[in-house]
Amino acid sequence: MSCTELDIGLHVLDHQLLDKDGRRCGNVDDLAIEGGPGEVPEVVALLVGPGYWGPRAGWVGRLAGWIGGGAKVRIDWDDVAKVDSAVHLKRNATQLGLGRGDDRLRPYAEKIPGAGR
Amino acid sequence: MSKVFGLSLGILAAIGGFVDIGDLVFNTAAGATFGYQLMWVIPIGVVGIIVYSEMCGRVAAVSGKAVFDAVRERVGFKAALGALVSSEVVNLMMLAAELGGVAIALQLLSGLPYRWLILLAVISFAVIIWATAFEWLERIFGYGGLCMLVFAVAAVKVGPDWVKVGKGFIPHVTQHNPTLYAYFVIGLLGTALSPYEVYFYSSGGIESKWSPKDVGLNRANAIAGYALGGTLSLALMIVGATVFLGHGISPQHLGTVALGAGDPLGKIGLLLALVGILFAVGGASIDTLFSGAYNLAQFCGWEWGRYRHPKGAPRFALTWLVLLVLAMGIVMTGVDAVALTEYAVIFSVVALPLTYVPILLVANDKAYMGRYGNGRLANALGLVYLVVLAVVALTAIPLMVLTNVGQN
Repeated sequence: MSCTELDIGLHVLDHQLLDKDGRRCGNVDDLAIEGGPGEVPEVVALLVGPGYWGPRAGWVGRLAGWIGGGAKVRIDWDDVAKVDSAVHLKRNATQLGLGRGDDRLRPYAEKIPGAGR
Repeated sequence: MSKVFGLSLGILAAIGGFVDIGDLVFNTAAGATFGYQLMWVIPIGVVGIIVYSEMCGRVAAVSGKAVFDAVRERVGFKAALGALVSSEVVNLMMLAAELGGVAIALQLLSGLPYRWLILLAVISFAVIIWATAFEWLERIFGYGGLCMLVFAVAAVKVGPDWVKVGKGFIPHVTQHNPTLYAYFVIGLLGTALSPYEVYFYSSGGIESKWSPKDVGLNRANAIAGYALGGTLSLALMIVGATVFLGHGISPQHLGTVALGAGDPLGKIGLLLALVGILFAVGGASIDTLFSGAYNLAQFCGWEWGRYRHPKGAPRFALTWLVLLVLAMGIVMTGVDAVALTEYAVIFSVVALPLTYVPILLVANDKAYMGRYGNGRLANALGLVYLVVLAVVALTAIPLMVLTNVGQN
C-alpha cells in the first residue's frame, strides 16, 4: 500500500493485525525500517511475534518473549492492504505464518464437545 | 423484549462489576462504621465509571478497539507490559476472591463443605462458559443478580433517618478517626472504578457486535447499568448504617451482609439476598475471568472473545481455563476472600491511570473516532476524573499501611 500521511509510530506500531478474512493474527511488535543517511527512511516490513519483544523492553521484554515462545514473523509492507484502527493484510494468516499458536491448539479444542457453539 | 435484553451488558457490568464482593463488603462496612457519612462518595464513583465506560464502549463500537488494545498503542510497549502483568495479578486475586464469594453464598444456601463447593463452582463455570453464548452469560448473571434489589427494599423498610441520609451526600470530613475515613473514601472509589469493569465492558461491547449505530445503546447501558449499581451501593450502606451501626456489628463476612436484608424482611429477604449475592459474585467471577483473558489476548494480538467460540479462539479459551484453575488453587488454600478483595482493590487503584489515560487519548483520536470523538463534556469530566484517580492512586497504599488495611 502507498501511504501519504500516516504517523507510523502512533497508527501502525503496536496495532492489531487482521488477515483478509478479518481474523486477529498478531500485533505489530516492531518495524523494519531502511534508508541510509540523507535518504527518506522507509518501512519495509512489519515484525510480528514475541521474539521481537526483547529490543522493545530490555530483559523484561526478553523474558516475556521467551515465555511467549519467541516466534518471529516478518510481513512485507507489500502485504499490507490498509491501515485504519487496525492493520489489514492482503492474505490469510496461515499463508503469512501468523496465528500459528491458535492453529496448533485448535485440533485439541475441537475434541471437547461444544467447542463450536 | 430485545430492548430489555439490549441492556444486559450494562446490567452485568454493574451487578457483576460494580456490585462485586468488594463492593458488598466495603459499602456495608462503611455504613456500619461511619453511618451515612460516606454516602457522598458513591455518586462520585458512579459518575466516574459512567464517564469512562461510555467512552471505552464508544471506542469499541466505532473503532473495534477494546481497552487493552488502546493501552498498548498509547503508553508504549514497556509500560503496557507492566500494565498487563499488574492487571493479570490483580484480576487473578479478584477472581479468587469472587470464587470464594460464590462458594460462601452456596454454603449459606446449602450447608455443604466450603472446599467442595469451590470445586463445584469452578467446574460449573468451566462448563457454562465453554458451552454458553456471551449474551446468555450476560442474561443469566445480570438478571439473576437483580435479586440484589431486595437490599433496596430493605433500605426503605429499615426506616432510616432520611434527613441524616440526605446530609451524608454533602462531602465532608469526619472528626472521629479521619485516617480510617479517608481509607474508606479511597476504597469506595477504588471498587467503583476498578479497571476490570472497563476491560470487561469494552470487550463486551465487541462481543455484542456493537457498531457506530450503537453509540446510543452504549450510553444507555453505561448510565442505566451503573446507576443501578450505585443505587444498590447506597442501599447496602443504608442497611449497614441502620442495622449494624446501632448494634456495634462490623460485617467481615458475606453472610453478615445478607443478614442486613434478613433483619427487616425475614426469611424471604435473606433468601433473595443470598441468591442475589450468588449471582452478583458469580457475574463478577465471569467479569474478572474474561478480563484476564481479554487483556492477554489483546496484548499479544490473538483472536479473542466468546463470540469466536473456543474453536475459533483456542488460545483465549485456554487462557480463561488456566486462570480459572489458578484462582481455584488460590482460594482452596483457605485464604479469606474478603481480605483478598480488599488487597486487590487497593493494588488495582495504583494501576488506574495506566488504564484510564489511554481510553481518554483514543476517544479523542479523530483519525478513527471521526465524528464520534469525545465532546467537551466527556473531556472535561474525563480530565476531572484523571485528577481524582491520581489522588486515589497516590494515597491508596499509604492509607492501607496507616490503617492496617482498615482494621483501626
